[in-house]
Amino acid sequence: MHDIADLESRQIPGVGVASSEFIEAAALQSRALGFDPAMVFVPHPIQDRTDEEMRALADAALADILRLLCAEEGDTSG
Amino acid sequence: MNENRVLDPTAEQAPAQRARLPRPTSVEGKVVGLLDISKPRGDVFLDRIEEQLAAMGIQVKRYAKPTFTRIAPTELKQRMAAEVDLLVEGLAD
Amino acid sequence: MKTALPDGLIVVAKADCPTCRLAEPLLAELSARAGPLTVYVQDSAEYAAELPGTLYDATLEHSYRLGIEFVPTLIRVEGGVEVQRTYGWHKEDWRQLSGVTDLGEDLPVMRPGCGSKTLEPGIAEELELAFGDIRLQSREIDFSTVDDPFEACFERGWSDGLPVVPPTPVRVLRMLKGTQRKPDEVVGLMPPDLVPCTVEKVAINAVLAGCKPEYMPVLLAALEAALTDEFGLHGLICTTMFGSPLIIVNGPAARAVGMNSGVNALGQGNRANATIGRALQLIIRNVGGGRPGEIDRATLGNPGKYSFCFAEAEDSEWLPLAQERGIEPGRSAVTLFPGEGVQGIVDQKSRDPESLARSFALSLRAVDHAKLAMAGDAVLVVSPEHARVFIDAGWSKQRLREELDRLLLAPGKELVAGAGGITEGIPERFKDMQVPKFRPGGLLIVRAGGTAGLFSAIIAGWAASGPVGSSAVTREVNT
Repeated sequence: MHDIADLESRQIPGVGVASSEFIEAAALQSRALGFDPAMVFVPHPIQDRTDEEMRALADAALADILRLLCAEEGDTSG
Repeated sequence: MNENRVLDPTAEQAPAQRARLPRPTSVEGKVVGLLDISKPRGDVFLDRIEEQLAAMGIQVKRYAKPTFTRIAPTELKQRMAAEVDLLVEGLAD
Repeated sequence: MKTALPDGLIVVAKADCPTCRLAEPLLAELSARAGPLTVYVQDSAEYAAELPGTLYDATLEHSYRLGIEFVPTLIRVEGGVEVQRTYGWHKEDWRQLSGVTDLGEDLPVMRPGCGSKTLEPGIAEELELAFGDIRLQSREIDFSTVDDPFEACFERGWSDGLPVVPPTPVRVLRMLKGTQRKPDEVVGLMPPDLVPCTVEKVAINAVLAGCKPEYMPVLLAALEAALTDEFGLHGLICTTMFGSPLIIVNGPAARAVGMNSGVNALGQGNRANATIGRALQLIIRNVGGGRPGEIDRATLGNPGKYSFCFAEAEDSEWLPLAQERGIEPGRSAVTLFPGEGVQGIVDQKSRDPESLARSFALSLRAVDHAKLAMAGDAVLVVSPEHARVFIDAGWSKQRLREELDRLLLAPGKELVAGAGGITEGIPERFKDMQVPKFRPGGLLIVRAGGTAGLFSAIIAGWAASGPVGSSAVTREVNT
């Protein structure tokens, strides 16, 4: 999340991807950073997934990632 | 001096947090960077994201942090900022 | 908030104070014979702990509300209201106040007390913020998890590119003590967002800038001047041209806050010059929303947009700028001018006023463009050595100005668009006239700088002068 915040300060919009275990920690980090990065959360666990399962997680996350990388109709920069 | 709180010097018309950058209307024609934080299995995830983006005709550049335990080195951040238009970082768990 | 005090006697003490320890054995007696007795202990739960009326005043709220300066303090309360108090140990006073006529028989006649914990450095302001009458209205931002408060201020966009001082409530409270005005008083509507700017917001940005509290009256006067309709701050912020507010300070206040009117007067190194000018810029940025790349679209800008503020060197026979503009002698004032930068005039040979005035006039032609006229105003900053040339010849500022006005007339045909093979220029209809460089009153003259150097300077003004843009505004400094 620090990296996303840093790249945004270099004018590169970013999206972070993390497991659902990270949701609370992400909220706390965001307060400390004074910045709430765009985040996509994928279902825990990660470490013991097969390659097939990881690819399925990626396919499922793709739509959200693309949505957060682009501006929607009537979107403000939030 | 206790610096746990400060008073807002602005007109307070915006939220106290910094806003996200405006996004482009579409990823077409943009270079998307994929930054691997180097935790195990993250590469498989990002490989698939890369495949999908390439299938959409989007140019992808891959990067990796030396370790997930530290923020990205400055040199890497500068390089990414010069080479991509958008960034996806993962996979944290 | 005035709640009733507990009736009877109140003692405020510190376990750490030898005189309080001396008096400690007496408290049981007072409680029994002159009670009820309330004991507020500032620093410990171990003092007079056995008495029913003892309270460890850990937050110091009671001590603050009682206005305790020394410990021990003994107070008598009747009907919820204080009627008498004494501090330190004075046998006679304690006996009289408590009515216990043989109190402390074997104690010395007197022992001085110690300072109250409420007056220790740093604590007094925290207490005032917690329990006092002052009400700060700005949103508090939590920095408790922030690693570096200076970086955090940068990240939130509050900076002009240089570090700012984190505006903690204690720093802001101290800054507010520099003015008698109330924090919630609205100074004016701040462009470009046209948001009400309170004295509190001024103080917060003054902290960011690095001001001292005593600078507040000068800063407030500058802000008032900047917010007048005549000064046209909104247009000045939005212009693609160079200008931004320059603050020229006159009167005793300049010296009182230690401003620089001498060596390097237009440069860096003096805290008052640097931070008063900077605070105004930060208010424009943070309160008004005027930021480069957003509303501020200046093509080039100028370094004065970090800060541009100096004092006139008044110890001469020349009338100070503020007095020329109607301020009474002995009063302090600021003059706001839409300044664009500094252009040097090197003249090390002229020894008579006529020659030096011609040098000045020739250089002044270049304001905006040598072929433009009646556009920007200008400030002519005359160094002490150059001023001496005029003063020794008996020329007042006004005399110099009249000479310059004469010298700055030019034949319209030289200035019209296309003349001299230069497309820029004034409209054709002026070609048969003598055209003045500046509009009436558009040239301001101040004296400043070190005493060695035959160099003066021009600070050009925004090309939109007068009602279409900005005029200089002078405002008296109050408290």
